[in-house]
Amino acid sequence: MPGSVALAQLQPEPLVRQDLPGTGSAHWVWVNDVVFHHMVDGKAFLFDGDSGNILGMLSTGFGFGSVLVPGNRSVIISPETYFSRGTRGTRTDVVVLYDPRTLDPIGEIAIPAKRSSNMPMRATTALTDDDRFLLIYNFTPAQSVTVIDLPARKFVGEVDTPGCALVYPTGPRSFFSLCGDGTALAIQLDDAGGVIARERTPELFDAEQDPVTEKAVRDGNTWLFASFAGDIVAVQTVQGRTRTAARWSLTTAEERAQGWRPGGMQHLALHLTGRRLYSLMHQGGPDTHKDPGAEIWVYDLASRERTQRIVLEAPLTSIAVTGDERPLLFGIFIGAPQLRVFDARTGAALRTINEVGFTPTVLVSY
Amino acid sequence: MPNYDDVIERMTRSLAKTTVRRSLLRTLGSLLVGAAALPLLPVARGQSAGKESGDPASCDYWRYCAIDGFLCACCGGTVSVCPPGTEPAPVTWVGTCHNAADGHDYIVSYNDCCGKSSCGRCLCNRNEGDRPLYMPGKSNDYNWCVGSQANLPYHCTVSRIVGMVTE
Repeated sequence: MPGSVALAQLQPEPLVRQDLPGTGSAHWVWVNDVVFHHMVDGKAFLFDGDSGNILGMLSTGFGFGSVLVPGNRSVIISPETYFSRGTRGTRTDVVVLYDPRTLDPIGEIAIPAKRSSNMPMRATTALTDDDRFLLIYNFTPAQSVTVIDLPARKFVGEVDTPGCALVYPTGPRSFFSLCGDGTALAIQLDDAGGVIARERTPELFDAEQDPVTEKAVRDGNTWLFASFAGDIVAVQTVQGRTRTAARWSLTTAEERAQGWRPGGMQHLALHLTGRRLYSLMHQGGPDTHKDPGAEIWVYDLASRERTQRIVLEAPLTSIAVTGDERPLLFGIFIGAPQLRVFDARTGAALRTINEVGFTPTVLVSY
Repeated sequence: MPNYDDVIERMTRSLAKTTVRRSLLRTLGSLLVGAAALPLLPVARGQSAGKESGDPASCDYWRYCAIDGFLCACCGGTVSVCPPGTEPAPVTWVGTCHNAADGHDYIVSYNDCCGKSSCGRCLCNRNEGDRPLYMPGKSNDYNWCVGSQANLPYHCTVSRIVGMVTE
C-alpha cells in the first residue's frame, strides 16, 4: 500500500521520573523567586553551578521568601502561604518539608497565618544552630517570631518582638531581632522552645544617621552588617551578651567621596574558611542602598583590607558563595533572570545560565 | 509576561548612566510598606499639593519618591485612588517628597490596594528615605496588604498626600 510505513518492533522508552543524584553538592544553589508579577506562584529553582544545569524546582505558594537547608541536608524547608481561592479566601501558612532527593512534599507543619510578606531576604527565617528550632518572622503588622520544633514537626510558640524585626541566630537556643532604635532584642529559648530570657541590648548602630541593612552574613558568633554609608558593623554574642564588637569601613575616604557604597538585595557573602568577605558595590548617593552592584569588592577579614575588585559585566542584586575549598560565587539580578557563576577565588566569570525564573531574589548555596 | 529583554537592556543602559538612577530603579521589583505613624516633622495635615506637574503614570512623578510597587494610576485607579474591586490597606509607610512645582515638601502615604493579583504595570521603585524592615513606618519592603481586609494579595500602590512640611 502506498504510503504505508513498516514499523520495527521497538521496546518503548520507559515513562519514568528522575530523582536528584544526591541530597546536595557543594556547588548546588537554590534560586528563590517571589515571582512579583504573579505572587501566588512562588518558585525555588535548584541549579548545579559546575554544569550550569537546572536540577529541579519547587512550587512554593504566595509571597514566597526562601527555602532553608539544614546542615545534614535531610530535608528542604520552605515556609509557605496559600489562599483557599488563589488570591481570595482563607489564608493558610505552613512550613512544607521536601524530600531533598525527590523534591516531593513529605510533610507540613501548620503555623499561625502571620508570616511576614516582604521583599525576600534571608533574615526572615532561620534555624537555631543545632537545627532543632525553626524561627519565622511575623508581621501583621504586629511583630513576633514563630517557633517550630522541627524534629517534632510542630508549632511550639510565638515570641513577641514589639518594635523589632527579623531573626539572627546566635546559638542552639538563642537569636536576636533588630529594633528600630538601633538596638537588638536578644532572646534565649529553653529546650521546649519557650522564652527564658529577653534582653534589649545597648545601641548597636545609629539607626537615624547611618542604619545597617538587614542583609547580614554570619561569622561564627558574629553577624556582619553593612551600613548604608559603607561601614561593616560586627555584632558579636559572647556568653549571651550581644554587643557591637567592631566597626570598619568598606571604602577609603576617597572612594566614599566618589560615592562607592554597598547595595542590593543580598549584597554580602562570606567564605568562612577562606576568611573572605564579598560585597556588592555601586556608585550612588544617599538612598541607593538597594541599587544593584556594578562591582564585587573582596576583603580579607583578618586584615580588613580589600584584596580584589571584580568588575561585573552586568549588574547584580544578590550574591552567595559556596562553603567548600574551591568555592563558586553565584550572582543574580532581580530585573534580569540569569544566574551568573564565578570562581570565588579569582573572580573569573565561568558561565551564565539564562531563563532563571522571573524576579529572582535570594540565593541559598550549600 | 514582562519583556525581560527590554528590562535587561534598560537596566544595563541605566547602569552605564549612573546619573540617571530612576530609570534603573523603576524596574527593580519589591514589595511595599506603610505605617500609621507619621514622621516627627512639623506637618500641616490633610492638605493637597498646591500645584502639580508631571505624569502620574511615570515613575519619575514627584510623589513616588519612596514608592515600591505597581502604580495604581496605571492599573485602573489614580495616583491616590485604588482601582475597582480592590481593598485599600489603611496601614502604610510614608515618605517625604519634594514638589518642584510649588517648592514644598509633602508627607506622602503609600497605601497598597489589595485583593487581586499583581497589576503588573508601571513597576516603580524609588527609595528616598526608605529604611530597613526594622523601621516599618519608613520601609517600602513590606507587603502592607497584610493590614487590609483582603490580607496579602497585592495589586498596586497609591500615593496620597497627608501633610505638608511647614518648616
